Amino acid sequence: MATIVRTSPTPILRRARRWAKDNLFGSVGNTLLTVVTSAILGFVLYQILRFVFITAEWEVIETNRRLLFIGRFPAGEEWRFWPTIFVASALAGLTWGLWSRLEWQAAMILAAALVPVFAFFAHGELALLTAAAVALAVLGYGLAQLWLTGSGYSAAARQLVMVGWVITFPLTIFMLLAFGGVDPSLWGGFYLNILLAVVGIVVSFPLGVLLALGRTSSYPVLRVASTAYIELIRGVPLITILLMTWLVLPIFLPSIAVPVLAPEGLDDMELTYRVMVALVLFSAAYVAEAVRGGLQAVPRGQIEAAQALGMGTFSVLAFIILPQALRAVIPALVGQFISLFKDTSLIFIVGSTDLLKAGRAITQGQIEFSSQEKEVLLFVALVFWVVAFSMSRLSQRLERTMGVGER
Amino acid sequence: MVDETDRPGHHVGTKEMISCTGIKKTFGDFVALHGITTSVMEGEVVVIFGPSGSGKSTFIRTLNRLEEHDEGKIVIDGVELNNDLRNLDKIRSEVGMVFQQFNLFPHLTVRRNITLAPMRVRRMPKAEADRLAERLLERVGMPEQIDKYPAQLSGGQQQRVAIARALAMEPKIMLFDEPTSALDPEMIKEVLDVMRELAQSGMTMIVITHEMGFAREVADRFLFFDEGRIVEEGTPEHFFENPREERTKLFLSQIL
Repeated sequence: MATIVRTSPTPILRRARRWAKDNLFGSVGNTLLTVVTSAILGFVLYQILRFVFITAEWEVIETNRRLLFIGRFPAGEEWRFWPTIFVASALAGLTWGLWSRLEWQAAMILAAALVPVFAFFAHGELALLTAAAVALAVLGYGLAQLWLTGSGYSAAARQLVMVGWVITFPLTIFMLLAFGGVDPSLWGGFYLNILLAVVGIVVSFPLGVLLALGRTSSYPVLRVASTAYIELIRGVPLITILLMTWLVLPIFLPSIAVPVLAPEGLDDMELTYRVMVALVLFSAAYVAEAVRGGLQAVPRGQIEAAQALGMGTFSVLAFIILPQALRAVIPALVGQFISLFKDTSLIFIVGSTDLLKAGRAITQGQIEFSSQEKEVLLFVALVFWVVAFSMSRLSQRLERTMGVGER
Repeated sequence: MVDETDRPGHHVGTKEMISCTGIKKTFGDFVALHGITTSVMEGEVVVIFGPSGSGKSTFIRTLNRLEEHDEGKIVIDGVELNNDLRNLDKIRSEVGMVFQQFNLFPHLTVRRNITLAPMRVRRMPKAEADRLAERLLERVGMPEQIDKYPAQLSGGQQQRVAIARALAMEPKIMLFDEPTSALDPEMIKEVLDVMRELAQSGMTMIVITHEMGFAREVADRFLFFDEGRIVEEGTPEHFFENPREERTKLFLSQIL
């Protein structure tokens, strides 16, 4: 007892000292490295903190929050966003709760990043709506954790949530176009980035899988066509493809009217839709290459075992090959989708006003904020980062719960 | 097959289940099968052995068209194996196969491994397929493992699940391609026990194995393969007591 009392205050300190000695000051080189790195880190951190809390003038964000997030979307039409945001928050909470457990580290980092976002944007009615969205997410998570996980309903709940996600996408488009609708050329801000990314991911994924199957197919025509497409797209910068869909694509498309998408004819499609097409076509080629890697990783014996059981080509593909192939390439796919999300900021090149373009427009068009470029850029970067980081964490989660690497 | 003696517990019928005439198979310049002619009767258990590269595995893989034969004629239960896809589907669902590397589907539970093919190929309702899976796992002696994943099982258990999976299609013929070669010694017996029970139940079986004790006990007939040919054929007694060919004697002396 006495020894414990005597030694108990010191071990932590002593352990800390030993850890520092082992890891930071183990040798002369190590010590030097520690000192230099700390100096650089300290300097950078000091500069950042000084800028964020002292030098920077953040009113530019607060004043322009609307432009940054929804661009030139007409006033009085904001209600179109909220149904989808509510559904998506609830689904996000449910998904998080059903497939995994709250990770405190990630949650805290995200919360910290969200604080300034809230500070600037949550006033009045918006505060209530935002709080409602957050509450729905928390509710979904709580419901999933306390109630559904481990119960007999969890499998059914997971299926429902997946169906929900699939429905969210058409719901979003419906809410933007129905009841009078808002012209796609007026969609903008961060909402446009998200929308383009979601369309790109949702559509390019199945397309990419088909291309990968085409490229590995034994039918020469399919193989050559898929390979040619993939290599063609991968050899051209996205900016070029965006410009081509703007300027060149109309020449090749017939003037056939397609309801909703192109009422004036395909050759006169809304620019926003053309950008979506470009992103989908671009992303599909990269998805295809990632998936092809997964297809090649499925052992021959798996296919033989399924064939020996009498399973046909479609069943073998749908139940044996694809589930294993896709599981193996989750990290690569999510990496591709994160790039796609960030690449949506390139659409300024065809004149759309996304988050980045809105930010540039503020400092260029509003004289009172013309010197706040740094603040705006920092804010834009933060918003992109929050989403990209969440996607990356989600991918790590998926890898673990789906048992990547277990064979 | 005049000198054929029935093994204890099963009876060799008079109906021809597999008939092969002059099966040839080449891989590029390499001739894997030089014209195999043999037939297997209903309920018969045939054991194939021979050095590696002798074509024994290629031969049984031609029987459900995992390898396409280049020449010759294969008839399974009265249906000829050719490019007619309907024939192929019929034959594959009547011929079960067990592989050296088990080839269980790692992303599916034991239950799903067994029920997938009956549900997809035979359109069996889920409840019925589940009952079938439970019954088959009972038969291979591991009913309590039904909701585990293959990676959670030992090699012997995995191979027994693979047998149950093949049996779920209610095949008339079972092919075993070195089913115990990838197993640790202590797990071989549990798999052989299941196969013995299957042989006694009257299943028509072709087994590639070098477990000669087991082979002698269950087989009606041995085929010795070397360099893509059947070098010698006969009862287990014939092989153990006075094999005719020098190559057979040499090989047996190496593995026994």
